[in-house]
Amino acid sequence: MPIHEKSLIRPENLLTHENLEIEGVDVSGHWSTFIESRVVTDYNEALEDEIAALPGGENIHRCWQCGSCTNACTVNALNPDFNPRFWIYLVRVGMEQELLRDKDIIWQCVSCHKCTYVCPRDVVPEGVMKATAHWLELKGHRPKSPSMLFDEVFSEQVFATGKIEEGRTLRDFFKRTGQPLTQDWLVEMIKRLFRHIPVKLMITLGLANVIQPRTRGWAGPRAAIEEYVEEQEARQRQALGLDRPPATGAERPLAEAAE
Amino acid sequence: MNKPVLILGGGPAGLSAAHALASIGQKSVLVEKEDRLGGAPILSGYARLVPSREWAKDAIGGMVERVAGNGLVDVRTSMTVKEFSGEPGNFTARLADDSTLDIGTAVLCTGFTHFDPISKPEWGFGTFPDVVTTTQVEQMFSSGQGVRCPSDGRKPKRVAILLCVGSRDRQIGREWCSKVCCTVSCNIAMEIREELPDCHVYIYYMDIRTFGLYEDLYYWKSQEEFKVKYIKARIAEVTSDGEKLIVKGEDTLVKRPITIPFDLVVHAIGMDPNVDNMLLSSIFGVELQKHGHIARASTYSAMGATSRPGVFVAGAATGPETIDDSIAQGQGAAMAALAGAPAIKAAAE
Repeated sequence: MPIHEKSLIRPENLLTHENLEIEGVDVSGHWSTFIESRVVTDYNEALEDEIAALPGGENIHRCWQCGSCTNACTVNALNPDFNPRFWIYLVRVGMEQELLRDKDIIWQCVSCHKCTYVCPRDVVPEGVMKATAHWLELKGHRPKSPSMLFDEVFSEQVFATGKIEEGRTLRDFFKRTGQPLTQDWLVEMIKRLFRHIPVKLMITLGLANVIQPRTRGWAGPRAAIEEYVEEQEARQRQALGLDRPPATGAERPLAEAAE
Repeated sequence: MNKPVLILGGGPAGLSAAHALASIGQKSVLVEKEDRLGGAPILSGYARLVPSREWAKDAIGGMVERVAGNGLVDVRTSMTVKEFSGEPGNFTARLADDSTLDIGTAVLCTGFTHFDPISKPEWGFGTFPDVVTTTQVEQMFSSGQGVRCPSDGRKPKRVAILLCVGSRDRQIGREWCSKVCCTVSCNIAMEIREELPDCHVYIYYMDIRTFGLYEDLYYWKSQEEFKVKYIKARIAEVTSDGEKLIVKGEDTLVKRPITIPFDLVVHAIGMDPNVDNMLLSSIFGVELQKHGHIARASTYSAMGATSRPGVFVAGAATGPETIDDSIAQGQGAAMAALAGAPAIKAAAE
């Protein structure tokens, strides 16, 4: 059957063959374009439970598809393809492949929480977006986002030492995101620091960089935090059916610090 | 009023009317065509009722007992009315056994008939044994058996409930909303999830009409506590691949066709006018409204009045109705039946 409106069909669903013969009939070339079925043939019932197991996704099952979240959405105003209502539905019903089509925009949520305030069923769509973005990373559908990497660098340092040392955080973050240390703005900032900072403070900062001070009596809290984080991560891995921790995590500084 | 009130039909509305009249010392004759009282909740074997979650046999059974044991109520089961004539306060009813009754006024509590989904063959009822009605699921619960696939007795892993079967459908002349099926379906979905926690329940809807206080008690609760899933789609057809039932339709929220396998498909059947309404209309001389329900003469000024003075109506005879509203209407019609008799009127004046 000729296709009058190819624009109505997703490009990946249009198939043509250079050489194809079916039951003796030549169906090669673009005169014999085929359309792949777009029929949904099953629900993945695990998907909703997986998202609900991640922080923020707990209330996803409450959604009744009113669209208040999408209406209120800051990002949707700029990009109509950013549609929290739609993704919540896909997750709830278990249309995983359909969800993955949008994997490169789901993380764009800016966490303004307008959706949280308008939602009549208290679904907390912002949390669901966060959980869904996290899910995409844990499942390996997307690399970790810069903000996720920053969160990791930051929290790992706090967990290990009980303190935060900005220079180290910055260096680790640049390392993990593959950015060079010699960035113009950074060089300029350090130059000015040297120019204006009191000598005593500079020495303190320098020492802190070298000896990595820790909060006194941190071993106890650290062990407790470590246990809790591992518990949570194990729970999430189990809920998502993942055997090992996510591959991109590399070795964990937390474990180093414990040695 | 010395003459008894004739009450036709021993369901929730009729039982309520008889009890109301008896409680103020008025005699009544309760004529029921089936061999026992209770109406649809008892005869069709409903399980737990909305909204109290009492078992039908306890809740309606209690109503039956207080009427059956009451000296002011003359219960005639397996009986129908053949002829009806006279004036308000002075009617004569001839019964099927040719006995006659002198009565003051009459209340028609003749209820409804469940929609028979055989009229929608594309949805598989009558073709596939695992396509059942909400009434059948009620019976699975009330018998103590639990929800099972009729074909082989297995526990279903995935159940689809299709709403608006025999309602809101011009194709089959059902242009009304049957009012209770959404709430009943939410209730059934929760009961299935309670009995079989591993079974996923999907409700296919056009709109969800869990009116009034049923919104959070049934619709929200079924989603939030029982994880029942709601898909906005009117199903096109139910077929089978030999093992599973295949439900086809369009998921209107994603604009995609769906063909999903299920173990059990439940039709949320609507409430038709009683199949005897044409006959009742001619015997009692009351008009029917356009869908075939008994027409009410007034919405506001006279409770339960029909087109014929002295003959009143209550419950699902007038259109789809809940059990609790039928009970309220039964009491209202009882009051109207008292006031509608000239003897009472004269005394009052």
